[in-house]
Amino acid sequence: MGVIVKKVELTWLDRTYVWPVMKGMGITFRHFIRQLFTRTSKRYTVQYPEMKRVMPAGYRGLHELKRFEDGAIKCVACFMCAEACPARCISIEAEEFSDLNITQGFEEKRPQVFKIDMLRCIYCGMCEEACPKDAIWLRNDYEVAAYDRLSMQYGKWDLMNTYAEADGKARITEDTTPTVPRRAITPPIAS
Amino acid sequence: MDTLASLLHTSPAIAWMAVKIVIVFGGIFTLAAVFTWVERRGSAMIQDRIGPNRAALFGRIRIIGLQQLLADGLKFLFKEDLAPTDANKGLFWLAPFLAFVPAMLGFAVIPFGRSFVSGGTTYHLSVLDPGNGMGMLYPLAIGGMAVYGVLVAAWSSNNKWSILGGMRASAAMVSYEIGMSLAVVALFMTTGGYDPKDIIAAQGYLPWHWNVVPHFLGFIVFFTCMFAETNRLPFDFAEGESEIVAGFNTEYGSMKFSLLALAEYGHMMTASALIATLYFGGWQVPFVQNPTVALSITSFVLKLVFFAWVFVWIRWTLPRFRYDQLMHLGWKVMLPMSMVNLVFHAWRMSQGH
Ligand code: SF4
Ligand code: SF4
Repeated sequence: MGVIVKKVELTWLDRTYVWPVMKGMGITFRHFIRQLFTRTSKRYTVQYPEMKRVMPAGYRGLHELKRFEDGAIKCVACFMCAEACPARCISIEAEEFSDLNITQGFEEKRPQVFKIDMLRCIYCGMCEEACPKDAIWLRNDYEVAAYDRLSMQYGKWDLMNTYAEADGKARITEDTTPTVPRRAITPPIAS
Repeated sequence: MDTLASLLHTSPAIAWMAVKIVIVFGGIFTLAAVFTWVERRGSAMIQDRIGPNRAALFGRIRIIGLQQLLADGLKFLFKEDLAPTDANKGLFWLAPFLAFVPAMLGFAVIPFGRSFVSGGTTYHLSVLDPGNGMGMLYPLAIGGMAVYGVLVAAWSSNNKWSILGGMRASAAMVSYEIGMSLAVVALFMTTGGYDPKDIIAAQGYLPWHWNVVPHFLGFIVFFTCMFAETNRLPFDFAEGESEIVAGFNTEYGSMKFSLLALAEYGHMMTASALIATLYFGGWQVPFVQNPTVALSITSFVLKLVFFAWVFVWIRWTLPRFRYDQLMHLGWKVMLPMSMVNLVFHAWRMSQGH
């Protein structure tokens, strides 16, 4: 089956080539004038350091480790994110803690070290998907850059404070509950 | 002028010449450099972009990105100057100058303002005396030399893409030169002389007496050929990203590349000056019979800048021609058109018009 290609019939005016060129120049000139008299804020180009794009909801940017209202980390060091990560860039070291009497044993777990290598991270969001505690979120900050490799290793406290300023939360630098129980172990009463 | 001459211990004629040379070539050089910026900003605006606007003095004073020129110039100066191992070193060094010098020289006979008499001496506002007998043949001849710049640059790089680009460009230039010359011959015929002075005087101060009206066909041919001559889109066959990389300047870098690029803009300036002089009354001011010197210079510069802008404008409107289309247009359309133009004007003159 053949396809009938419609031939464009050019009028004699089009054949002169001069007229179509003038029409084309008219179009480009219209664009030129329009762009010239558009305010910078209305132009298509975002003038980056002065103007920033508002990222859509669900954008996968820099991570945040979520916290409870009292400032305790939500993460329970279950290693699900580290397992799910296709770039293998999360490394976690867990620790146990308890505010209760040490004799009752430790019943809580949290990361002592939680490191993400942002140079290796591909911002796929798998860690967010995998987390059973909703403790790790990828949010809208896309300005992840540094002058050296070492500062691209985000530690636990970096990750907990990534959006502290944006959300108006306090910066936290230590766990609310110390690893060693605050309550002293009552010595057995001498009998 | 006389005081300046006595200060420099030279005759007024020589001092005047030196001043003219500095002003003309300095001016053209600056305009050419500024037009690299105009081209970038203009193209950006045409394509709804913004263009280079970030270069700033001391990191804060931005004058709509004009410092980009300085930044680029400095960058080019400090880049390593490489020549390919198998290149013909001498020619490789010579080529940018071969391209640049003719582009500037063509401007020498074009009067950029009205001649004036002061203290019994006539001062001409063009580097060479406008009645020197070479007339407009000189810029055309010099324009023909521009082929060497491209061809030598291409040949000496010892790179097959360069050679292809250079050959294409020189073939295009040579074939368009014929149509162009014939268009200009018709103009010389009706003027009765080929000195820029005669041509400008014959056109008068009324826009509908300018050569563009009676010689409209010739103007179209000349204008089109100027694009081929200056090697700019839609006829920039020296380059071609999709087929021959950057063409004749593939191997060039640093200041040599910058000179080649500036040569293109210098050429553009000379071509605009030629168009303004030949077809748009040179320094004549529309509707003003005896303009002052300053007004005539302003008028000429405005015309020059306008045509240079048209060069930029067309470049960002039209796509590049295919090579066979170019040859077809040159030999089968432009040449017959300028011949018709020539014969028509010869016939009109024979009828006593
Ligand atoms: S976003 Fe993807 S690559 Fe980055 S840490 Fe999470 S799982 Fe790993
Ligand atoms: S961030 Fe979520 S998935 Fe990762 S270790 Fe903590 S609780 Fe588990």
